Amino acid sequence: MESWRKVRDVVRKKIALFVFLGWVLLIVGDRVDELRVYQGAQIAMYTIALTSIVLLTGYSGQVSLGNGAMMAVGAYAAALTLNNLQTPIWFAFLMAILVSALFGALLGSAAARLAGPYLAGTTLALAVGLPAIANQFSFLGGEPGLIFDVGFPPERFGEEFTQYKWFFWIASCIALVAIFVTSNILQSRFGRTWRAIRGNSLAAELAGIHASRMKVLAFTMSSALAGLAGAVLAMNIGLVAPGAFTLALSFGLVTGAVLAGISSLPGVVLGGFILVVIPEIADVIANRLGDADKLNSYLPGLIVSVLLILSVIYTPNGPGENLRKHLRKKAAH
Amino acid sequence: MIGKTRRKRTWFVAAVLASGSLFATALPAHAETGVTSSEIKLGITLPLTGAASPGYNKIGNAMNAYFKYVNDNGGVYGRKITLIQKNDEYSPQLSIAKTNELILKDKVFALVGPLGTANFTAVHKSVGIARRGVPSLFLNTGFSGFANKKAYPTSFTILPSYAMEAKIAAQFLKENFAGKKLGLVYQNDEFGIDALGAFKAAGVKFDVSVPYTSGTQGSATAQTWVSQLAAGGAQVVVFFGVTSATAALLGVAAAAKYAPQWVLGSVGSDPLILRALGVPVAVLNGALTLSGNPSPNDTSDEYVKQFQEINTKYNPGVAFDDYVLQGMNVGLMTVQALRAAGSNLTRKGLIRAMETKGSTFASVAYSPLGYSKTSNVGHTGYYMAVMDATGDRKPYGGSAVVYTTDSGSGPVVKSTFKRPAMPAKGLPTNS
Repeated sequence: MESWRKVRDVVRKKIALFVFLGWVLLIVGDRVDELRVYQGAQIAMYTIALTSIVLLTGYSGQVSLGNGAMMAVGAYAAALTLNNLQTPIWFAFLMAILVSALFGALLGSAAARLAGPYLAGTTLALAVGLPAIANQFSFLGGEPGLIFDVGFPPERFGEEFTQYKWFFWIASCIALVAIFVTSNILQSRFGRTWRAIRGNSLAAELAGIHASRMKVLAFTMSSALAGLAGAVLAMNIGLVAPGAFTLALSFGLVTGAVLAGISSLPGVVLGGFILVVIPEIADVIANRLGDADKLNSYLPGLIVSVLLILSVIYTPNGPGENLRKHLRKKAAH
Repeated sequence: MIGKTRRKRTWFVAAVLASGSLFATALPAHAETGVTSSEIKLGITLPLTGAASPGYNKIGNAMNAYFKYVNDNGGVYGRKITLIQKNDEYSPQLSIAKTNELILKDKVFALVGPLGTANFTAVHKSVGIARRGVPSLFLNTGFSGFANKKAYPTSFTILPSYAMEAKIAAQFLKENFAGKKLGLVYQNDEFGIDALGAFKAAGVKFDVSVPYTSGTQGSATAQTWVSQLAAGGAQVVVFFGVTSATAALLGVAAAAKYAPQWVLGSVGSDPLILRALGVPVAVLNGALTLSGNPSPNDTSDEYVKQFQEINTKYNPGVAFDDYVLQGMNVGLMTVQALRAAGSNLTRKGLIRAMETKGSTFASVAYSPLGYSKTSNVGHTGYYMAVMDATGDRKPYGGSAVVYTTDSGSGPVVKSTFKRPAMPAKGLPTNS
């Protein structure tokens, strides 16, 4: 009884926290200019995508470089649903979640036997190959892609309420809900089971955990989240095209997750922020060095790659982990 | 425990006050975006790198060279023009991101010459060009869909549409190649399909039709195009695609000793770039191409001569070809448009100036400009040219016979239009 009360209190506190965060975002969204609001929507999108990586890699220990591909699946599912079935927007997002979950389940069952570099390689192949499939089938829109138009904000918000602000609201709302749900899942039996599998798969099996089933479940949920992120991306740029889901995206996501702490959920917001800030930094550097336009194509990818290598060498569990260790050492003295 | 509750309450109240104060501050008013007393900021998205960039990546610098020339000679009513180029690698998704940067971050006054059919379609919808009232002048694409003033109220084309081009080509094919087997290679998006539709409407039947997906052009894919064309026995091959695809096609065909009569669409047919991409000049000899401008080597043309001088001085080291000519011409038209909008420069004013005075602007192309209150269409005509053994382009039959038409079912007629003279020293003085 006592423990249930505790759980209920914790959940209530969490809900209050998320509601407060949502409110803060609302205020911030009103104050900053349109570019920042648009970038805020992008941060929200990356946050959802990074959540999927934290679940898959941070908790269940499966390294996947293919989250970009799952985002593509979700985005195309959403666009096809919206354009062909003329459903309300939320249904398109729901389809994104369901279809990518399905793909994730398929991928997971194929990948359950793989581990480490073999799994990474398989998912890498997926990341490279899947978006290119769009070029093969005309109903997927080819290189120019499919338009994904969620429409304008309701009239009652007034003239000043731009479409990008609307995207920011929707994206932030979805991100908050996604993180809330994922956080609950990770703190439940599922999360503990996944961490057990990550720690030692064999020991977990001996303890009665059905490792491969749980791994597939992790893939399914992670892909569902990635698909949702893909649909949010489609909303932000209004277009679903293979060019939006490059290998650079998958690498960027992994980098963001590692930097933010691969097994830490609160870090995903920081990770999303870093991913949006990197092109800005690249822009500043490129302008200093001159010939900005050409450099800008290569710099962000270069920065991401360098950051990934450095962080894997120095902070494999994310700088948050290093900071915590450092603080603990200090406290012990 | 009371302390904790008090602290919580204080935080809560502080948060409310902080957020309330944010609302209280009013946002400052601003003058027209992208215009100050000394500067006009313009933006362009185009492929500077990537598979489709050869040739087109020179356009931005050519425009810049012309703008620098004008800036050195007083600018536009004392304001200097700054052109911000953004590389979109011909990818529509990147075009959206870069145009967002131009409009929201760099806060440009107008877009000038954004390149690409699929690119601008995506940008217009996603960034909301019409909704924001951002003028987009002289779109570097011939897609006839943009001629719809209702759907694209702030945009103006400059190139004749692909539909117009196909209609004029169709007439030429019927008059000169009746009975021959026809082949077509085209880019498999709105760009190529625009032309295909017009050919169909004009009653031209292609014996071999080869679509290619944008971005996949290369010698490997070109092999498949050539085998299909050769297998179908095409004696005349029409091509509607980007320059890098033209180069792949011609190069592979030459190696395979397949030499039909080439009819190259205007977009991808600059001889200099084709040769730079490895097409032997012998292959180009005799190739037909539709063109709207004089050859960039024709120094007897006053526009070409003036632009070449500006290019030598302000764009040193860059060979003067079709793209540089096109870029400088867009620069010339832009300056005339900015001047026509008056010294009190606003976005609405610029659009109005284009509608009311745009049709009188001086431009290197031979056909008349169609800008009006009801039409955002620029040039409307082409003449057939033939490439010679030096890779230069000469009018077919000796002198340029310009035909004009529309993107719909209107007839193809011979044009009697005379171009306005090039402004003295290439510096417009219109108002």
